Amino acid sequence: MILSDETKRKISQAKERYPRAKSAILPGLHAAHEEHGYLNDEMYKEIAEVLGVKFIEVAEAASFYTLFPKAKRGKYYIQVCRNISCALLGSHHLTRYLLEKTGTKLGETSADGLFTVVEVECLGSCCTAPMMQVNEKYYENLTIEKVDKLLDDWRNAE
Amino acid sequence: MTDFTITVNDQTVPVNKGQTVLQAALNAGIDIPVFCWHPQMDPVGACRICLVEIEKFPKLQVACATVAQEGMVVHTESPKVVKARRGVLEFILAHHPLDCPTCDKGGECDLQNITFKYGLDYSRLKEPKHRYIVDEESTFDDLRIGPEVIRNQNRCIHCYRCTRIVDEVAFEDDLGAYQRGNHTEILPPPGKEIRNLYSGNVVEYCPVGALTNTDWRYKVRVWLTEQTPVVCTLCPDGCNMTLWTYHDKLYRATARPNDAIDKGFLCDIGRYGYQYMTSSDRLKKPMVRKEGELVETSWGEALEYIKTHTDDLKKKLSGSGFFGFIGAGAYNEEIYSFQRFLRRVIGTNNIDYRLNRKRHLDYDKEITDRKLGPDSATYDDIETADTIVVFGSDLHSENPITALRVKRAIRYNGAKLIIINPVPTHLAVRTDAIEAIHKPGTGGVALTAITAAVLDRIKGDPSSHGLAAGDIADFNSKHSDYSGDKAAQLTGIDTTTIDKIADIVSKSESAVILTGAFFGRDPWRDSLLVAATNLRKAFKRCLLVTMPDESNVFGAEWLGALPNRLPGQIGFEGKGRFEDAWRGPLTDMVGKDTIGILEAINEDEIECGFVLQSDPVRKFPDGGYARSVMEKLKLLVVIDSFMTDTARIADVILPLAPFAESEGTRTNWEGRIQYSARALKPLAESKPACEIIELLSDKLGTAFQQMSPLDVYSEMIGFLPVDAPSNFERLPQAGVQIKANPEQPIGGFSTFQFNPVDSNEEFPFHLVTVNADHHRGTLTKRSESLMNFCSEPYIGLNQDDADKLKLSEGDLVKVESKFGKVVGKTRRLEDLPQGRVVIPDNFSELAANLLMGRKERYDRVKLSKM
Amino acid sequence: MTGATQNKSNARETRVLLEHVGDPNLHKIEHAIELGAYKAWEKVLKEVKREELVQWVKDSGLRGRGGAGFPTGVKWGFVPVNSPKPKYLCCNADESEPGTCKDRVLMENDPHTVIEGCMIAAFAIDCHTAFFYVRGEYDLSMRRIKKAIEEAYEKGFLGKNIMGTGYDLDLVLHRGGGAYICGEETALLSSLEGEKGLSRLKPPFPAIEGLYACPTVVNNVETVSNLPRIVLKGAAWYAGMGTEKSKGTRLFSVSGHVKKPGNYEIELGMTLRDLVYGLAGGILDDKPLKCIIPGGSSTPVLMPDQLDTPLDFESVAAAGSMLGSGGVIVMQEDTCIVWVAEILAHFYMHESCGKCTPCRQGTGWLYEILHRIENGQGKMEDLDTLLDLADNIEGNTICALGDAAAVPVISTLKHFKDEYIYHIEHKKCKHNNDFRLLPK
Ligand SMILES: Cc1cc2nc3c(=O)[nH]c(=O)nc-3n(C[C@H](O)[C@H](O)[C@H](O)COP(=O)(O)O)c2cc1C
Ligand code: SF4
Ligand code: FES
Repeated sequence: MILSDETKRKISQAKERYPRAKSAILPGLHAAHEEHGYLNDEMYKEIAEVLGVKFIEVAEAASFYTLFPKAKRGKYYIQVCRNISCALLGSHHLTRYLLEKTGTKLGETSADGLFTVVEVECLGSCCTAPMMQVNEKYYENLTIEKVDKLLDDWRNAE
Repeated sequence: MTDFTITVNDQTVPVNKGQTVLQAALNAGIDIPVFCWHPQMDPVGACRICLVEIEKFPKLQVACATVAQEGMVVHTESPKVVKARRGVLEFILAHHPLDCPTCDKGGECDLQNITFKYGLDYSRLKEPKHRYIVDEESTFDDLRIGPEVIRNQNRCIHCYRCTRIVDEVAFEDDLGAYQRGNHTEILPPPGKEIRNLYSGNVVEYCPVGALTNTDWRYKVRVWLTEQTPVVCTLCPDGCNMTLWTYHDKLYRATARPNDAIDKGFLCDIGRYGYQYMTSSDRLKKPMVRKEGELVETSWGEALEYIKTHTDDLKKKLSGSGFFGFIGAGAYNEEIYSFQRFLRRVIGTNNIDYRLNRKRHLDYDKEITDRKLGPDSATYDDIETADTIVVFGSDLHSENPITALRVKRAIRYNGAKLIIINPVPTHLAVRTDAIEAIHKPGTGGVALTAITAAVLDRIKGDPSSHGLAAGDIADFNSKHSDYSGDKAAQLTGIDTTTIDKIADIVSKSESAVILTGAFFGRDPWRDSLLVAATNLRKAFKRCLLVTMPDESNVFGAEWLGALPNRLPGQIGFEGKGRFEDAWRGPLTDMVGKDTIGILEAINEDEIECGFVLQSDPVRKFPDGGYARSVMEKLKLLVVIDSFMTDTARIADVILPLAPFAESEGTRTNWEGRIQYSARALKPLAESKPACEIIELLSDKLGTAFQQMSPLDVYSEMIGFLPVDAPSNFERLPQAGVQIKANPEQPIGGFSTFQFNPVDSNEEFPFHLVTVNADHHRGTLTKRSESLMNFCSEPYIGLNQDDADKLKLSEGDLVKVESKFGKVVGKTRRLEDLPQGRVVIPDNFSELAANLLMGRKERYDRVKLSKM
Repeated sequence: MTGATQNKSNARETRVLLEHVGDPNLHKIEHAIELGAYKAWEKVLKEVKREELVQWVKDSGLRGRGGAGFPTGVKWGFVPVNSPKPKYLCCNADESEPGTCKDRVLMENDPHTVIEGCMIAAFAIDCHTAFFYVRGEYDLSMRRIKKAIEEAYEKGFLGKNIMGTGYDLDLVLHRGGGAYICGEETALLSSLEGEKGLSRLKPPFPAIEGLYACPTVVNNVETVSNLPRIVLKGAAWYAGMGTEKSKGTRLFSVSGHVKKPGNYEIELGMTLRDLVYGLAGGILDDKPLKCIIPGGSSTPVLMPDQLDTPLDFESVAAAGSMLGSGGVIVMQEDTCIVWVAEILAHFYMHESCGKCTPCRQGTGWLYEILHRIENGQGKMEDLDTLLDLADNIEGNTICALGDAAAVPVISTLKHFKDEYIYHIEHKKCKHNNDFRLLPK
């Protein structure tokens, strides 16, 4: 049992909202993701059980959607928008800067387990570029200074 | 009769409403390339190779998914189409490894063929080709994803045929497509394998070499092979196959699509089962017993041996001192000539093929008088039914292709599936079936309880179900003990389940009841048949089909492999016809059935027997008895391809050529007679049955001058109520059907008699024999491929029972009955109810029939840990 | 001559959808109601016949804001309302088209108008279970809409027998999993059914066989947000705004090299110049303009000499582009166009669902070539290959993602072939496009 009863309750509630149980696969994945911050096969099994759908259906769906990391990653999951509007305003430099500051490579988690920096596609924040999403939260109109401050705050928070 | 026409490349093409442009074009002989389309699955329009130009459409359309509309004007090879098609091909080929020389699909690859046609000889891709697994050791990036299936993802063109076959056709869930975009990968679910009973089809229908199997890969180039059309011999479904040979050696079996039967799919048992014929332990020379030892000899000597001994015996015994057993796996012609040999040459009617039955098998009077026989039906009757009742059958493993047709009924017809069995079966998985598991021996009660519940629902208007006013009252008066809570008590099936089933049955417009081995081997089969015919009557419209448990039982029944029936199911009053045909008198003796024969041997009334392609010692549900009795015979002649348990105690063994080394016709469960050609020369000195029987007849003084199956067929077919050509090679692929029993049951409901199962403290477990995964009968253990799925016997029991006995998976456990004991490995089963032991009857090393007693109603055993 | 700097525009926004946006309490239901939320819903339920409503919206001339610009009332008209099957409305809030962030503004600030719009659209097709498909990354939007729906249930605007009219309606929030393709309506339906987000063949069209094979309408957030006001102020009022064929106002997300990036609501028909140089304040550092993508990454670029194109469906089409999703991406002169094309190609490769061949294989191939050229390893013949591959994708795929992927390649090659050639010949870019973070 990897999913908490609470999470399972959420999932079976989601099931009630749809005409067909299968529709609750995405809500199920979200619930598991909220609990663990990533997804794995065990979770798929349990989601499938709660919903009464095929294990493979959950596994296939999970593999398709990019929102769910398939392994643990840093406490601060830094997703920098790499797409056009942000790129026009320097997001590629921003990424490079973040990697430098966190001493990691793209997708790697920093030694202290705090940071994982990845590049993602357009996050719908084009008018407030450049931007990044850290876990759920958006940070927009970024500058070097803002990024420095954020990193310091996070480090100090530890 | 077509609805309208469209124009394809200036040719007028007839269309049935609802047909796609592709189907219409193909029917008209216009070729449109396809990758993802498959005739038996819904179109997905994914590969885009079938793009065509349709006037008034702004864009090219996929022919496979575009429904033809009256007056459409279609161009399949216009410049625009060809450009697009070449584009699609270039995209597919861009990252496709051009490793055709080492690819098994080479020579039969859709991608090769279509590229050949559209002549792409270059790629503009400058980047290195994408590889899914970069394995410098091998150039193939192979990944084994199942006991037989190997995946090379680089070659995959993402047509999704494989995953759709698994999901839409087989209702299985062991193959999927993961990730997305150009990283999409075909894989089983994490931590699992693709090992469903139909797994071979994904290999056959992969248009490229992305999925291959160990059976065929790297053994021979396809263009060197010859193909022979045959019919599978491993179950009564009668699927059509092609055997692929090279230099008189077998390499593989593939589907030979027959829309009336298999729709182009094969189960793995049929696909890989053929390997038994190539196994090294085939009998190659005749053998005779000298100083107690079986030694190889020549045909001449063997036949001489038989002649001298039969002549001696004939001096002191009449025909009643002889018998013959025949396996119902043989060709029609072989069965026919064998019984003709026994009746005409040996002069005996002691003939039977039913070796796995306990009680005497002459039907109860009620059944014969009232003509309560099964109905004749076809696959299409199943596919069009709105309700399907599977009773006493593990349909999935006994009749895999019939099971697929049931699934088609569910998918395309919304048919409801009801399963009533003593043990849970795989068919219930993912079919939304209502599965009712009853205590052993109470299946008849279950059916009666359902019938009662149905009648209760329709009592308002019995005539709607073709019942007379009095029928219902009459039924209830006779069966009050077998309904409601009483029935629940007896069967262990709760009343809500019975009610759910009754709701469906009472609403059904057209139904089929399918019975199988649990039914067929039940000593009280007759009472089950009564219960089933009663349920049948309670339906508005329903066909009762008793699935045979061997591939050619239907043929055996109709070609005289029964003591009391001549070919064509003709009784002895009609023997005159045969005396004319066989040029000589036939005995009037009343023939004995299997049990009668064995008992007569025991009484020394029978001293000589001929056994063709069957293994009573292994099969008879009292193995110890069968062996001890057969050992008493003065002369036992066994005609077989392998050293069976019965052959071991024979005096003479004649090496038999299996089906691919001969030809003939077979009769599937529908009564459909199909032709199966010869793919190989007989191995070494083995001979086809017809030839062997002719040699015997000749030796014993009555030649029929019918060496070849064709000779036999042309005589035999005259005795069957079918309209068939005089040469079996001219039979249509769909074959011709014998109608099972044309007569309808007479009168109202009959009385079901329940024979309670005695409880037994000493032997608390019920023994149930089953098929091991991917096996059927005892031949398939000679197929390496099938052994990859399940390589050894086991003793299966409920996990709680196992806990009580401290048995963990794989522990050695001893199974004992009054009659014998066997030892095997424990398999703990979740969903098997307590108090049952299942043993697969596919492995001689664990012969469940040693535990059985022919007089026992049900076989009871006890278990102990070793 | 682009007139880049001398822009004396006094262009104004016409804030209809954004009327109250900026009010910090707008997302709270009490406050929203004070400002008139759910009046239209009540009117529809109590006074309006379904057919009437559909007619109004037809008359208003409202066209879809999701990308295709299909007349909303007409789309509703395709639904066989008296079919025995349930009908479904799906509000498309998957906003993922690069350059587009307008729906988000509405969801975060004015969620009640958004869901009221969904309710009205649902009523228009006799739907009793509606779905709201919001892209997974939009955390705040999701929470705002979630809250709004809860409040609407509490207040009895959703649920059984709404306001005693006997009309039942449930609105279910469905959170996406991160996939641009799920904005495509058929893929959205697959995703909603619990499948992977694979697009589906049309026909059958969603209006006939959509969600769970039932009649379904997919409408964009901005589209439905117009409905409450159309109901209250009338079709004529709405049709009074905009141009002959392109009625009403529209949100444009102006991003890239402009001084005042942001979402601007304007009457359709305002010129691109007024939007970019007027409202958005012109190009950063008053650099010369290079080109503008007017309707999200999937639309062809417009050149400086097209700045006076009125922003309405027809004029932009005439200028060779599309209004698409209203994502206006502005690029100043020394932007490397190959680099831009590469970024967009990477996006489409990453987002292709992989179902059909040309898109699955083609998007990746385009990216690989552009990547090579951008990194100085291009060959001249690559340019023809690019165009030909794009041509082999366009029109041959199941959904429009394939076409979208072809557009940037075709249109940048059309206007900036010389830059591509320079890249190939000099193995580097002619600009020193060293973009920096915004100044403090
Ligand atoms: C690849 C692709 C992505 C799309 N993404 C969106 C989207 O994010 N939001 C949206 O409203 N429409 C999107 N669309 C358009 C939808 O398919 C659909 O036309 C639209 O939601 C209909 O709503 P409307 O009529 O109100 O515009 C997309 C289309 C394609 C081909
Ligand atoms: S493996 Fe073969 S059958 Fe399966 S998707 Fe790939 S090409 Fe098609
Ligand atoms: S065969 Fe038509 S798209 Fe594949």
